[in-house]
Amino acid sequence: MEMHVKMERICNDFTINIATANGTGSQSSNLIILNSMFQMGVPVSGKNLFPSNISGLPTWFIIRASDNGYQSPGDKAHIQVLMNKDTWFKDLESLEPGTIVIYNEDAKLPVDRDDCPSFGMPMTKMARGINPKLARLMCNMYYVGALAHLLGIEQNALEMAVRNQFKGKEKAIELNLRAISEGLDYATENWEDEIPYRVESREKDPDSFLIEGNEAIALGSIFGGINMLSWYPITPSSSLAEGIIQWLPELRDADDGGSTCAVIQAEDELAAAGMVIGAGWAGGRGMTCTSGPGISLMSEFIGLAYFAEVPGVIWDVNRVGPSTGLPTRTQQGDLSMLYEASHGDTQHIVLIPGTVDECFEYGWRTFDYAERFQTIVFGFSDLDLGMNRWSTSGFEYPDSPMDRGKVLRSQEEMDAVENYGRYRDVDGDGIPYRTLPGSGLDPILYRGTGHDEDGIYSEDPDVYYATISRLKKKIEGARDLLPAPIIREEEEQQIGVIYYGSMENSITEIDDMLESTGLSVSTCRVRALPYHSEVESFIERHEKVIVLEINRDGQMYGILRKELPAHLIPRLHSVAYTDGLPPRARVYADMILDTLEVTA
Amino acid sequence: MTVMKLNVIDLEKSEYTGGKSSLCPGCGHDQISNVIIQAAWENGIPPEGIAKMSGIGCSSKTPAYFLGKSHGFNTVHGRMPSVTTGASMVNRSLSFLAVSGDGDTASIGIGQFIHAIRRNLDMVYIIENNGVYGLTKGQYSATVERGSKKKKGAMNEQPPIDLCAMAINLGCSFVARSFSGSKKQLTSIIRAAMGHRGMAVIDVISPCVTFSNNDESYKSYNYVKENDEVLHLLDYIPHFTPIEEVDIPEGEFDDIQMFDGSTLRLETVGDEHDPSDPMSALSAIHRAEMDNKHVTGLLYYDNSMQTAEEALGLTETPLSALSEHELRPSADALDDINSRFRGN
Repeated sequence: MEMHVKMERICNDFTINIATANGTGSQSSNLIILNSMFQMGVPVSGKNLFPSNISGLPTWFIIRASDNGYQSPGDKAHIQVLMNKDTWFKDLESLEPGTIVIYNEDAKLPVDRDDCPSFGMPMTKMARGINPKLARLMCNMYYVGALAHLLGIEQNALEMAVRNQFKGKEKAIELNLRAISEGLDYATENWEDEIPYRVESREKDPDSFLIEGNEAIALGSIFGGINMLSWYPITPSSSLAEGIIQWLPELRDADDGGSTCAVIQAEDELAAAGMVIGAGWAGGRGMTCTSGPGISLMSEFIGLAYFAEVPGVIWDVNRVGPSTGLPTRTQQGDLSMLYEASHGDTQHIVLIPGTVDECFEYGWRTFDYAERFQTIVFGFSDLDLGMNRWSTSGFEYPDSPMDRGKVLRSQEEMDAVENYGRYRDVDGDGIPYRTLPGSGLDPILYRGTGHDEDGIYSEDPDVYYATISRLKKKIEGARDLLPAPIIREEEEQQIGVIYYGSMENSITEIDDMLESTGLSVSTCRVRALPYHSEVESFIERHEKVIVLEINRDGQMYGILRKELPAHLIPRLHSVAYTDGLPPRARVYADMILDTLEVTA
Repeated sequence: MTVMKLNVIDLEKSEYTGGKSSLCPGCGHDQISNVIIQAAWENGIPPEGIAKMSGIGCSSKTPAYFLGKSHGFNTVHGRMPSVTTGASMVNRSLSFLAVSGDGDTASIGIGQFIHAIRRNLDMVYIIENNGVYGLTKGQYSATVERGSKKKKGAMNEQPPIDLCAMAINLGCSFVARSFSGSKKQLTSIIRAAMGHRGMAVIDVISPCVTFSNNDESYKSYNYVKENDEVLHLLDYIPHFTPIEEVDIPEGEFDDIQMFDGSTLRLETVGDEHDPSDPMSALSAIHRAEMDNKHVTGLLYYDNSMQTAEEALGLTETPLSALSEHELRPSADALDDINSRFRGN
């Protein structure tokens, strides 16, 4: 085979697919590979495709190295690791000729692909030598050693990654390093062939590290002064709540040793939302985090907060719907639900981070917006951004003090407001003043029923119309105070692509694919709803605008069509696709090209 | 007896009244509102220190009719406990006084009722229980007794959910039942509940004059009056009244010390009831149910339980009163976190 001739080296440009069974500890092995490459400065990304299951069902981990900085999973695997008997044949069958196969010989299953160079290792047997009881878990460390040998992962990077993974657990560090080095030695001694793929050190930003979006939001909310976290466990948002719980004792204990943030595991998402509203009503910063099914349950309360004008923060880490859907897969399918959650006419502020830096930033900013606008503010993330690890150069400290909004805390402040009423638009911006329970200032009975400017029950048609018109004006006023879009514009303003959220991780590659066909493509990443006026001017400047999103129906496209001036609507074209997997650049690039052809 | 014009904090009773009721004339709920006004005034609680909470229904409208100087929140159907929980976490210095109905609590909101009890939220939770949905024109609720019949429609055949029995089984720290027509008993119970630390559930039978005040209804005014099994006579002695000034009853009595230093004096009538014994409370409820009667009084009391705020180890200052300095960790703290993530 050509393997024996001098082969062309392919550095830092390949995808590894690792097939294991859930609950076998393979996540540690996979993160060690990811992190050791990261430590070498190799631009790398990892995607965990896991099942809704505690133990036994198949799981895949995709690692992509790319000097171009491409972070989507890639079109195909260049290297396949086979550990799982259940998916063995299907995994093998799907490989393109030439794919490198690394497999556990102890699975005792054939590797019938003569067109794929394969490398076997008795991983389970070797792991038994270290610890018979832990062999099922430890055997996964042997493919780390195998890959380290074949790809040329440096020893010190491996050690650093292992130490990072098992922070301070010396016994685990020692055992796992031993397994990795046994795997590496076995490969060195028994495998003669080389493979074309190599990792090569790059200059690493010394400030950079990898972190999950959920943990970034958790930290951001703690720096945002969260007072109350109510939550109900649901994938993929649980690790956000658990991140807050983990970091609170270190960061948020008062001088008397008591906590400055209450954490309540609620009985369901309805209660979690109610607690957020109670906290906001009483003058605190309340937050909950959930996924689509939770938002469905919270919807009645969201309408109450909108109408009674109570601040609160709700994070939706989107998974695949409808219904229980694919609970461990990713999607941007909740956007339109968030924007108009609850019955009647409603409209909510939605912040949409696309990077872990923005996850941290919006973690604190959501509270400022919620108190400024006295309403629910959503943070909109997804499983891909929330539960996979992404690079940052370090989080930036909030650049502005907390905005506690229009709260009157004393009689003097109250007297300074002319013609005060809880729901009177004194300043002309649609945002009224409020007082807090316990203050004795203008005590009213908050209600979800119709109310006049003083908060008194009313069914008067004029009063109702005035109220909902002011609410519209209030949220409308948020537009240009919310994060502006990130625009990367070409001089020839031919094609514009509007996208948002975790699509950020695939856009560079999509853009390169489009431009390789000779197109000139500008991009605009929307970071909040209601969308900023710069989004509209971006559309004004482009002949054709693709709205790119990870859902079936084109939800952002729908929102834009509803709110844009009529003459801009014909420029918009929806490209929406979802199958539960993180977006692959090729799929979306081809759909965009097809759409442009059809509309040419 | 001299008529007090001012309470212990020098406020007139008018400081505790609210807006005009829009309920049906003669509604039991209005009597309860009057008792709440009386109890809060007599206890000398600053009105601004109270937060009135409610769900949806006839009863949940009543916070508009009492304590006009207190903030309140008329939330959504059955979900008042969660809103109260959030508010209570953020401002533990408020006294939470909640009003709910039998539909609001025993049907749509039974889950939140249960979990608020389980957390021992520090609040007074009054259920104005009439066995029917009023605002939707008289459907049965889940607390209606088997064999009871409202004014229109068939007799109810399903067993009732007894909210007091449920609360006792869940470990609620203060459980009482009363009747809107028993002003003295109800006043003592509500006053004691206000001095309690933790969840105080008070199930108040409150006849619906429009849909079920007929004699075949077990929650009609006449029926309850005839079939009220009073456990004990109650006297509430606030902590600011020297105990020597209170008349000592002639018969047997027990004093229960409340958290705020006040005393609830239980004077025995008939069989002695031990409110510290949940089994005795549950059998009193079941015996009464079998006889189609209502047992009233302080059913169960336990002052040893941790409240939700205590269990969470919150700082003493209400969280809503903390400054930015106390809420936002320093820039150094973030530098340190970044540095640790970098592996330095």
